[in-house]
Amino acid sequence: MNELIAQSNMLLTDLSAQPMVLLIAVPLFAGIVCRFLPSKGGAVAAVIAFLTGIYAFLIAWPLFNAKAAAFSHHNWLALRLDGINGFILLATTVFSLLILIYSFGFMKGKDRQNHYYAYILWTLGASCGALLASEFILLLVFWGILGVTLYLLTGISGPEAAGAAKKAAIVIGGSDSILILGIALLWVIRHTTRMQGAPVEFGGPLSYIAFFCLATAAFAKAGAMPFHSWVPDCGEKAPASVAAFLPASLDKLLGIYFLYRTTTLFTMNSGVTTALAVIGAGTIIFAVMMALVQHDLKRLLSYHAVSQVGYMVLGISTGTPLGIAGSLFHMLNHAMYKSCLFLCAGAIEHRTGTSDLDKLGGLAKAMPVTLFSCIIASMAISGIPPLNGFASKWMIYQGIIESGRSGGVLWVVWLTAAMVGSALTLASFVKLLHASFFRQPSPEVAAAKPREVGPGMWLPMGFLALLCVAFGLRYLSPLSRFIFPAVNAPVSFTGKWFVGPATVMIAGALFGGLLLYLLGTVKKPRVCRTYIGGEYLDEVYISGSEKSTARDVEVTGVDFYQTIRDMTPFKQIYTMAQWKLFDLYEVGTHVSFFISKIFQFFHTGVLRQYISWYVIGMIILLWLMK
Amino acid sequence: MVRYLVHIGEVLIFPGLLFTAVIGLVTSWIDRKVTARVQMRVGPPFLQPFYDIVKYMIKETCVPAGASKFVFLAAPLFGLAAVTVASTILWRPMVWPEKSFIGDLIVVLYLLTIPAVSVVIGSFASANPIASIGGSREMKLILSYELPFILACLVPVIKTGSIEFGRILAEPMAAASPAGIIALIVAIVCMQAKLTLVPFDMPEAETELTGGAYVEYSGPPLGIFKLTRAMMLFTMPVFLITVLWGGIPLHEGAVPAVLGAVKYVGLIVITVLIRNTAPRVRIDQAMKFFWGPVTLFGVIAVIVAFIEGL
Repeated sequence: MNELIAQSNMLLTDLSAQPMVLLIAVPLFAGIVCRFLPSKGGAVAAVIAFLTGIYAFLIAWPLFNAKAAAFSHHNWLALRLDGINGFILLATTVFSLLILIYSFGFMKGKDRQNHYYAYILWTLGASCGALLASEFILLLVFWGILGVTLYLLTGISGPEAAGAAKKAAIVIGGSDSILILGIALLWVIRHTTRMQGAPVEFGGPLSYIAFFCLATAAFAKAGAMPFHSWVPDCGEKAPASVAAFLPASLDKLLGIYFLYRTTTLFTMNSGVTTALAVIGAGTIIFAVMMALVQHDLKRLLSYHAVSQVGYMVLGISTGTPLGIAGSLFHMLNHAMYKSCLFLCAGAIEHRTGTSDLDKLGGLAKAMPVTLFSCIIASMAISGIPPLNGFASKWMIYQGIIESGRSGGVLWVVWLTAAMVGSALTLASFVKLLHASFFRQPSPEVAAAKPREVGPGMWLPMGFLALLCVAFGLRYLSPLSRFIFPAVNAPVSFTGKWFVGPATVMIAGALFGGLLLYLLGTVKKPRVCRTYIGGEYLDEVYISGSEKSTARDVEVTGVDFYQTIRDMTPFKQIYTMAQWKLFDLYEVGTHVSFFISKIFQFFHTGVLRQYISWYVIGMIILLWLMK
Repeated sequence: MVRYLVHIGEVLIFPGLLFTAVIGLVTSWIDRKVTARVQMRVGPPFLQPFYDIVKYMIKETCVPAGASKFVFLAAPLFGLAAVTVASTILWRPMVWPEKSFIGDLIVVLYLLTIPAVSVVIGSFASANPIASIGGSREMKLILSYELPFILACLVPVIKTGSIEFGRILAEPMAAASPAGIIALIVAIVCMQAKLTLVPFDMPEAETELTGGAYVEYSGPPLGIFKLTRAMMLFTMPVFLITVLWGGIPLHEGAVPAVLGAVKYVGLIVITVLIRNTAPRVRIDQAMKFFWGPVTLFGVIAVIVAFIEGL
């Protein structure tokens, strides 16, 4: 007995000396503490979570700098740090920390804060575990925990989010079982569940099925089509901070990380890469077309969280070091601007109480920091140079062109899809900016009298927006520090984008324009009332007649792209989307209900019928086995 | 430090802001003069576009109440900066081929959409419904022409396997191949929309939207927008010639330079002729036009380019 205690003590000291183990265990443990705090202890939970977040960052930073580490215990508890997961680990802790800071203000006064912080911490610990695991079984455990915390966090905002939470849990859970199948098949091929080792050559159906099983798990986590449908629901119904935390940043990091890991386990051939490219390009275009017509701010952003995955998948599908580096860089950049956008949405919702684009407007003056963060992040996601989204998309484009050098014509299709997707992204963000910030305020907004959110909320937003600018203007330094070590091959650019001289030029040109301004009369602008159609806008706008409060002159911007919706091929596609034909979850639900209906037909409750079925079945069986 | 000063000199004087602005304004004078002659008018004197810009500068600046003042005033500057930098990047290899490139085809392609985006953002910041409609049309126009324009620009990429201007310029595209000619025609049609000239001027549509996207702008900000448009009128044809038609190699001596100038004038004449003979179309018609026949021709150009490469 004493020996056993001594042994377990030794094991504990052994484990607690391992920073990688601590990084997983401490957030999980702190989460348990938060979870069992009394429900009034929200502030305490927030402080515990914040301190844990800082602690995780302080461990992750030296780990990232160490570049390589390995730890294994009893053969199954195998952790491994290398170039690929190091920077993702660091990013995970940074995003968690930012979300925790934001949550101080955002969650203030809300119910079940102790639960919220517990789930966030569990997510953090499990994510670190999933990233560090070098054994598929261990990865599966953490992957499973992440599915559960996603369900809990999505459902935290109350009963109206229950459907979205259920959907997320079913899609992710379903993909988990496919992942188990993939791991089993891979074991049949390789006889090991290690995540390292010589890549498997494709040959025979088994290897293909194994690869696509693993890829399915990655797609479902990252939200690529056709496993995307949980993302828009989750993004719309979950609190904005959760949307910024999971579908926008952490799930992308994990999903794309896992997809990349999977591709390193196989020797890719052109059939597989083409399939990946089809998924990538399709995801970009379909999701962004859906985003164009959304009426809800958070749902619109969620469709972009799907669409951007397409770029990452496309980048990996090129198989060139440049494309893969671009893909990983895009993953990092996406986490920045998409979190920033969701945090902006959260700030808007916090002040106006709604995320319905039809009911927003006029926030440009009231919430300047939110406006500028939102504009920068919107331009970054649309790939406007010199922001970070441009740099990574530009690398992916080059990767696609480079992959075309080995022959084939399909690369033009992927490239066109990616570049047009970028313009469509811009279009939907322009709509978002108009409907929420620039147009005349809606009566709901006017009644809410919005003002800027507190520094706890705008600091993370502003920080992420500045990061978008910094990563764009200095794209080579994050690349060489974070991304290039992850790609096991030298990366060389085929295009040219010398952002240093370009920055000087942009600054110079802006200065030139400013000089023209200063020569002019801009210093003393006169504020004029808006005058349209022979009347002052504020008079026409507020009331057409004295009695009604109907607004006669109003452009919300929500229906800007009705033109596209009414156009022939798109009209039918949008109608099909309204029937949820592209939603695997809904289609699956219908199929399973249909099957159960067939069985219901036989399920009459009459015993004699059941017995006759048994007899018939027995006869068939006996005949078959004769 | 000296290097950066040189860059600033390039961007402010030659081949950047001053150079592009002067040639752009002269081009806009040609446009106005030809238009006037077509309509049996005398037309403005040579310096009229310059007078106009000066006049805009001394006119009062009005900012609509309820508008975001900073965004409203800053939007024109970003458009101007983008076209200036794009022009500088384009001209550098044609003036000093020994200097290193700043950006490639994709960079310039993206930079050249920023002026349109700045019009959209500026119009939205005016908080005027009419401006909003204009801005939304401008955005939809970007969506329409972007697809065929990208396809046209991919033809030289297919041919050379590169997005570097150095490699693309080495290939005398349109004159030499059917794919290049089709791509050039597609690109010219897209250019008309990118410059928002008739028949694709629905974002400002004077007769129905009274200026649309620009309705709230006055004084210097409007002047900057007009200047940006004039500079685009110069930069867009140059971009087309660079990508699809062998460029305007100033450094190679008088004959190629003059030949390049002839190509430029040719493109301007085509643009002005279209603008004076076509009626304005609706935005949905424009979208169907660009996503339908024009894109089809873009696809044909790409396919032909692949066939030629076999």
